[in-house]
Amino acid sequence: MAMFPIASNVEGDMAIMVVMVDDEGTMDEVAKACAYHSVGRRVAPRPDKILRVRRSSTGEVYPRDMRLKEAGLLPTECVDLIFSDA
Amino acid sequence: MTSLKQDEYYDLIRGVNWTPKYVPEEEIFPEEMSGSRGIPMAQWEAFDEPYKVTYGDYVQTQREKDAGVYSVKAGLERANYVKTADPGWVSTLQAHYGALAVAEYAAATAEARMARFSKAPGNRVVATFGMLDEMRHGQLQLFFSHEHTRLSRQWDWAHKALYTNEWAAIAARHMFDDMMFTRDAISTAIMLTFAFETGFTNMQFLGLSADAAEAGDHTFSNLISSIQTDESRHAQQGGAILKVMVDNGKIDDAQHMIDVIFWRTWKLFSVLTGPIMDYYTPLEHRKQSFKEFMEEWIIGQFVRQLDDLGLKKPWYWDTFVADLDQAHHAIHVGVWFYRPTVWWNPAAGASPEERAWLEQKYPGWNTTFGRTWDVITDNIVRGRLNMTLPETLPLLCNMSNVPIVGTPGDKWNTKDYPLVYEGRLYHFGSPIDRWCFEQEPERYKGHMNFIDRVLAGLVQPPDMAGALAYMGLAPGEMGEDAHDYAWAAAYQRKAAE
Repeated sequence: MAMFPIASNVEGDMAIMVVMVDDEGTMDEVAKACAYHSVGRRVAPRPDKILRVRRSSTGEVYPRDMRLKEAGLLPTECVDLIFSDA
Repeated sequence: MTSLKQDEYYDLIRGVNWTPKYVPEEEIFPEEMSGSRGIPMAQWEAFDEPYKVTYGDYVQTQREKDAGVYSVKAGLERANYVKTADPGWVSTLQAHYGALAVAEYAAATAEARMARFSKAPGNRVVATFGMLDEMRHGQLQLFFSHEHTRLSRQWDWAHKALYTNEWAAIAARHMFDDMMFTRDAISTAIMLTFAFETGFTNMQFLGLSADAAEAGDHTFSNLISSIQTDESRHAQQGGAILKVMVDNGKIDDAQHMIDVIFWRTWKLFSVLTGPIMDYYTPLEHRKQSFKEFMEEWIIGQFVRQLDDLGLKKPWYWDTFVADLDQAHHAIHVGVWFYRPTVWWNPAAGASPEERAWLEQKYPGWNTTFGRTWDVITDNIVRGRLNMTLPETLPLLCNMSNVPIVGTPGDKWNTKDYPLVYEGRLYHFGSPIDRWCFEQEPERYKGHMNFIDRVLAGLVQPPDMAGALAYMGLAPGEMGEDAHDYAWAAAYQRKAAE
């Protein structure tokens, strides 16, 4: 495993957070790590939704079980965290 | 013998250009320092500042002005205004002094470059006065703030801030270095004295002076009004230089410089002045909203001056106008949330009455920035203060060096504008910040903002504690909520009902 810096842009937040995540982690685990720094701090929790990871530059929404290291992101590249139904 | 009137001899005594015989002109005025852009010496002699002053008059006037501000200070010292002032106003003073006092001193260097290297003799004369002005401003503001250092260590940041690696200090330094230390004389005249001083410091000094007078801080009001009278005089250099540029076919070059530095200046003022005017100044003492000040001073007066010179509004004008409803509100949330990382105590300014004022001045505030403050307020009401503090750092713009922000809540538009240049991924807060970088990547590419330094291993340990230590912030200096969360009392009472 290696800690990998990403820029986390959570839907509804006014800033983008730099979050260190395990590159072996799944996108759901990435979403959880990102949410920790925004949801409940500056963004209201939405328990009926799940957060999906979307590559900011392309709009590609990653599969929930995809590993971060498979996504081909550059260090500090920005991902959007979008509240979704599934 | 009859004395000549000033207007009869002034042009003669400041006409100090000569034809060099022993040294080539380009060695006296190297292009990289002079920036004459091929405009002949004789054309620069057309420089004509509207307000003319001789050295004798200058000294006498400055002496009288200093006597005025020092006597007001001495007269009100016993009143101990700062001890009894609203904490939000104290924060205003601390933020202002830390960001600007030493920068004023630095501006003396920029003025000195014009005083030595400008090919316009009139520019050299006015810049000599400008250099002395800026020394005065540095000294006044360091001296006036110093008396408060016995009250808290945060006051010491008036002198200390720009010598640290605190994130806002890095942002200010990057901007000031770009504008004041690394440009030729003509670029400095346009960027510093026209775009920055004519455009923006009017608002910082006159707007803040009005708020200070309303708040009863007559010492500060008097001080910065006095400073502004100097600024108004030496800021006229930019317009006079621009006229020479326009008359000699360099209008595109002039426009480009204004476009770059206007945006850079806006970003800095959105951090410094916006939160002060709309959140820190006590509600009952606010003269106008930040946006109203901007509309009066920038959209009104500055644009008129651009028109008069035959220049255009910067190409991104619509984005700038839209940003008046966004940038400083977002930055304010960020600064408050990251309050341990600044040298003043940010005032939240989010009581029910203040929110009503914000909604009135910025329709839609409640469903955007208000949503963020709803979450923060709820955490305070429930005693979860740890949730109102950061555990990681925000992404910073590689041009402005301030957090990349957007509108939260129902109109969420926060977005990174990236650029890969020579294999390095840069982040920008707007397409305009990225455009500024792309104009001169060689100038900007090597700089490391705070996040870059963390990732490069310069900040150890790479966490909030390490970041605070790297910034030079010790307990007693780190910001806290200015009012110790008293603004949330009404919400707490409501929750208890």
